[in-house]
Amino acid sequence: MNRAAVLLAALTGSAAAAGEPPPSVAFTPQETHRILQHGPWPQPKVSDPSNRASGDPRAIALGRALFFDPRLSANGAVACSSCHVPAKAWTDGRARAIGLAPLDRNAPSVVNARLLRWFSWDGGADSVWSQALRAMLSPSEMGASAAQIGGVLHADRRLACLHEATFGAGRDDTQAMVDAAKAIAAFVATLASGRTPFDDFRDALARGERRAAARYPAAAQRGLKMFVGKGNCSMCHFGPNFTNGEFHDIGVPFLVAPGRVDPGRHGGIKRVLADPFNLLGSFNDDASGVAATKTRHVELQHANFGQFKTPSLRNVALTAPYMHDGRFATLRDVVRHYSELDMERIHTHGEQLLRPLKLTDGESNDLIAFLESLTDPSATAEPRPAAPVPECR
Amino acid sequence: MSARRRSAGWLLAAALAAAGPTLARECNAPGNRIESDRVVIVYRTAPPKIAVGKHFAVEALVCAKGAGAPPTGLRVDAAMPEHRHGMNYRARVLPLGEGRYRAEGLLFHMPGRWQFLFDVDRAGGAERLAAEIVVE
Repeated sequence: MNRAAVLLAALTGSAAAAGEPPPSVAFTPQETHRILQHGPWPQPKVSDPSNRASGDPRAIALGRALFFDPRLSANGAVACSSCHVPAKAWTDGRARAIGLAPLDRNAPSVVNARLLRWFSWDGGADSVWSQALRAMLSPSEMGASAAQIGGVLHADRRLACLHEATFGAGRDDTQAMVDAAKAIAAFVATLASGRTPFDDFRDALARGERRAAARYPAAAQRGLKMFVGKGNCSMCHFGPNFTNGEFHDIGVPFLVAPGRVDPGRHGGIKRVLADPFNLLGSFNDDASGVAATKTRHVELQHANFGQFKTPSLRNVALTAPYMHDGRFATLRDVVRHYSELDMERIHTHGEQLLRPLKLTDGESNDLIAFLESLTDPSATAEPRPAAPVPECR
Repeated sequence: MSARRRSAGWLLAAALAAAGPTLARECNAPGNRIESDRVVIVYRTAPPKIAVGKHFAVEALVCAKGAGAPPTGLRVDAAMPEHRHGMNYRARVLPLGEGRYRAEGLLFHMPGRWQFLFDVDRAGGAERLAAEIVVE
């Protein structure tokens, strides 16, 4: 009997003898296996080998300051935090973000970004720090230059101290710009979401503790069963962070405006391979070359056109609107999309797994109840203050 | 060309023995085996257990079977037949000599049934062998 079957037996086999409540939803061994794959949570902290500042308290303090600093934008009014607002679960609540100009895509949360393989909806960056650079330099996002970013680091006494303490003295503007991005990445890596009602259920299931598992609402359990079963959602929303980190065409139109399309992953691969700050370049601090494996092997395919990254579902109830272009205002709209999937709209190379789920109202409600159970109660709290750096008060 | 997966067992041992002592010795490496009428591939993955979303490598030994042109190269790919898509990454195959190869950079991004696709180059054309694997 495999582990999942043992767990299932533990949860369903001897309720009367143990005086435990009967299970509200019965999961098959396969479903149980899939559920257990969505944990444990939180995941262990692992430093980013491509970023020598990763985990350094001085870099985290510097990055925290820079993340909220609008001086890093061309007009002095846009910061990273303009689109990644802590009180909005590190999104902005808009359908499409607005930097120096209106943008084509929804601002994703940066929480748990350290667990991702690619960054941005198109995966056009292969590290958190190169994504931060992309946002700072993009004319429509923050529109900064190396000289401007370097100037901020040199002009501000505390920032200059943190910068030099972390990266050393005598950095030129380009180096300082990359340093700033790596410091921001070091800060972003500290943004990890906490445990959720789902995690408590998942761990109770793993331990065979039926009474603890029964505290998880029945509707959420039914929705979870659909998520890992009939819905096949966990095929792409895989693992502890509820994303396989890759890209799929799920039938969302990629027309941005009349006559203009968003190529999605197809453009993202082109961009990341052309990026001088990618992991194949000289700014990658990982001498082993392992961190660059994905970039070295990623392959541009015609099927990438119109694919967008599978988003994590942790805190999904707090991060509306949804999809890469923010076209869906509510989770119910998203569930309806999968329920009524228009197969005519799926690209020729679209994900073949997809079929209209044809959910009843009750099933839709259950699925939404499950998605809402992925919410960390502290997700909208202000980030903890950076640890003091005595030499840079 | 049809291709079949063979688990290690007496049928394979008998086939290798029938092909000659040299082949039997060369293809006696540990690992999974697939074969066609003209070629035997012994392969294993590194790490041995493939995890969804983690890069891995495939180490392969390619041996000629019977008469005919010897293999001159190997390409390695993978696909999910039910989903009608492959990997998002191109494996790079490094020839190590004496029929040995190491393919690096593979990644299975979804759980389920995958197929390893081995394209063996030889004079007169390539031959594809497929081996199934279920990743959970």
